[in-house]
Amino acid sequence: MDKVWIAFAAALAVGLPAIATAWAQSRIGAAGAGTLAEKPELTGAIIILVAIPETMVILGFVVAAMILLM
Amino acid sequence: MIIRMAKVEIVGPKQDLLNTLDLLHNRGIFQPDPQLLERVELAPADRLQALVLDEQDLRERSFFQNLHERVAALLALLPETANGVSPLQPLPVMELLAELVDQHLAKAREQAGLLTECRQKSEDLEHSLVFWRALEPLLAGLPHASTLELFGITIRDTHQLQALEALLQERTQGRCLISTATTTDGELVGLVATDRSVAASLRQALTDERVPELPLDADLADLSLPRRIAALHQRLEEQLSRCRQIEAALMELARRWRPVYRRAESWLEERLSLYRATATAYTTRLCFIIEGWMAEAGVAALQADLNQAFAGKVVLEQQAILEEDLDQVPVMLRNPGYFAPFEIFSRLLPLPKYSSYDPTPLIGLFFPIFFGMILGDVGYGMLLLLIGFFLAKHYPPQHLPSDIGKVLGAAALYTILFGFLYGELFGDLGEQWLGLHPLWFDRGKAILPMGVFAVSVGVMHVLLGITLGALAELRRHHPRKALLKLTMLVAVLLLVLALVGWFYPQSWLQTGPLLIGVGILMPVLIAAEGLLAPLELLKTMGNIISYVRIMAIGFSSVLLAIVANRLGGMTGDVMVGILVAGLLHAFNLLLGVFAPTVHSLRLHYVEFFSKFLDLGGRRFQPWQKPPRKRAT
Repeated sequence: MDKVWIAFAAALAVGLPAIATAWAQSRIGAAGAGTLAEKPELTGAIIILVAIPETMVILGFVVAAMILLM
Repeated sequence: MIIRMAKVEIVGPKQDLLNTLDLLHNRGIFQPDPQLLERVELAPADRLQALVLDEQDLRERSFFQNLHERVAALLALLPETANGVSPLQPLPVMELLAELVDQHLAKAREQAGLLTECRQKSEDLEHSLVFWRALEPLLAGLPHASTLELFGITIRDTHQLQALEALLQERTQGRCLISTATTTDGELVGLVATDRSVAASLRQALTDERVPELPLDADLADLSLPRRIAALHQRLEEQLSRCRQIEAALMELARRWRPVYRRAESWLEERLSLYRATATAYTTRLCFIIEGWMAEAGVAALQADLNQAFAGKVVLEQQAILEEDLDQVPVMLRNPGYFAPFEIFSRLLPLPKYSSYDPTPLIGLFFPIFFGMILGDVGYGMLLLLIGFFLAKHYPPQHLPSDIGKVLGAAALYTILFGFLYGELFGDLGEQWLGLHPLWFDRGKAILPMGVFAVSVGVMHVLLGITLGALAELRRHHPRKALLKLTMLVAVLLLVLALVGWFYPQSWLQTGPLLIGVGILMPVLIAAEGLLAPLELLKTMGNIISYVRIMAIGFSSVLLAIVANRLGGMTGDVMVGILVAGLLHAFNLLLGVFAPTVHSLRLHYVEFFSKFLDLGGRRFQPWQKPPRKRAT
């Protein structure tokens, strides 16, 4: 039973930040697409901005890995 | 790197101003900055004032401006020729050119007007011919065509055709017939045949419905269709011949005069830009003063040029760059061979200030390493090296694809290096087929060691950033801020060591004293930077932990490669297996280029540069002549 809870906790640790990241990226992506229509020269900056929320899911993954391995 | 700049002051007799400006224009290495002159202190009698052109200069400028407009208008009308630009010196013949340009402009305008009219007529005739040719077979099918009234019409689509048929049948009580055909242009055209008694009513109906009737000259209306088409042909030939005659006349004018006027235009542009440049000069009763910026390496050469040109009457003096000047110093970046292609990444950022750093060498140094650490696969590295080599060789240097190729090549070399360290060749294929073993650790299994390694890289990178920030503050003559940066550096270091002692207890690494050290430094930071200092410390720790993405993205990449190999193996057929594994590896390689690039850049832009880079510099834009056109 403990294993189930550990796996569930790990899934939550990576799943919730993944949802948050997806939501943030959808908003930034939509705004970025609008920006690119007017200023295509900002492509590089927009790609970086879209990548910024990925920190959440990466940290979630680290926490999940720690839950499973430690 | 940021090129060292010099603040220079150029002083000389008032009458030499235009010649001095001309020399500076020719060299193209000096950027004037009139704001610097606001700080120059002189005796009240020698008060500086903006240069006001005298009456003769104003008259001359007005003359040149007017002439430039007329020459530009003439050149816009004349066709391009292969003659290039005449080597003629325009100044001695300027008066003559001013008279000639009016005659030539009038002639060119007249010819251009005739040509436009002639081309329009030709187009109309061609249009008519297309329609009447399409309608010719329809007319042949009509009985007693001579007793009927015929209308040629263009129809938008089949819906309009149906509506039109219904309407015309109603207006003519069924005494009309519509036939349609498609022209060679793909347009739908129709021939409406009706009794002459209802022709007027039908024409009115077409007008009401805004259905365009095909244009036809009145004198051709009574001709039979074949004769009508032949007449249209003849008229078209006449118009085309006339167009060719007018074009030849214009070309002859252009062949004789365009090179001369292009040279004159170029000279006038240079002269007018010289007059505009006088707005940046200030004068006293007898002298002019210009202040500005140039690369320090070019000062001696420009001094020698001025000495030689004005026999020592115009003097250039380099001045000290004061603290209040630092934000005004324009920035020029220039990077040596290896680093130059990495400017494609630093160009995504605003220009750094003069007292800050050029981020390009730092990106050039760390980006390929981070990329290699994330992708870390000998097979993928080899493929990227080939792609990079192809791009660098196939495209001319200094072009974007070539720069991308060079950056990809550098990143691929580190990918191969880390691939050997991780023992990866297309995932675990190297281990299965070639017995390749990790020289360091297996990323697929050693998640925690890889995470610790990634965070350690983050510690070094962020601490380097804080150190560079302290050095930048020293360069800006802010020793107190530099000291604060160093205090922050020590606090971060102590906190990191405390965390290491917490997770990996060592006898020589006591968490308690280290935390006490942070506690002692905290009031200093709060006193200097306010209540945001603890937040800044936390943010820095967050920045360091963010480097764990090096492990996380690399882990996902290696797992995808292993999955590709497993799926390929599960198919049970060699060819299908190679195809499946190949497709998945190609997808992984695509991700493997995109994700490490974006995340390595993010680590630079957000985590690293935020510690020291001061953005918002002014680009160095020296006075330069407009590019000279080719001389014959």
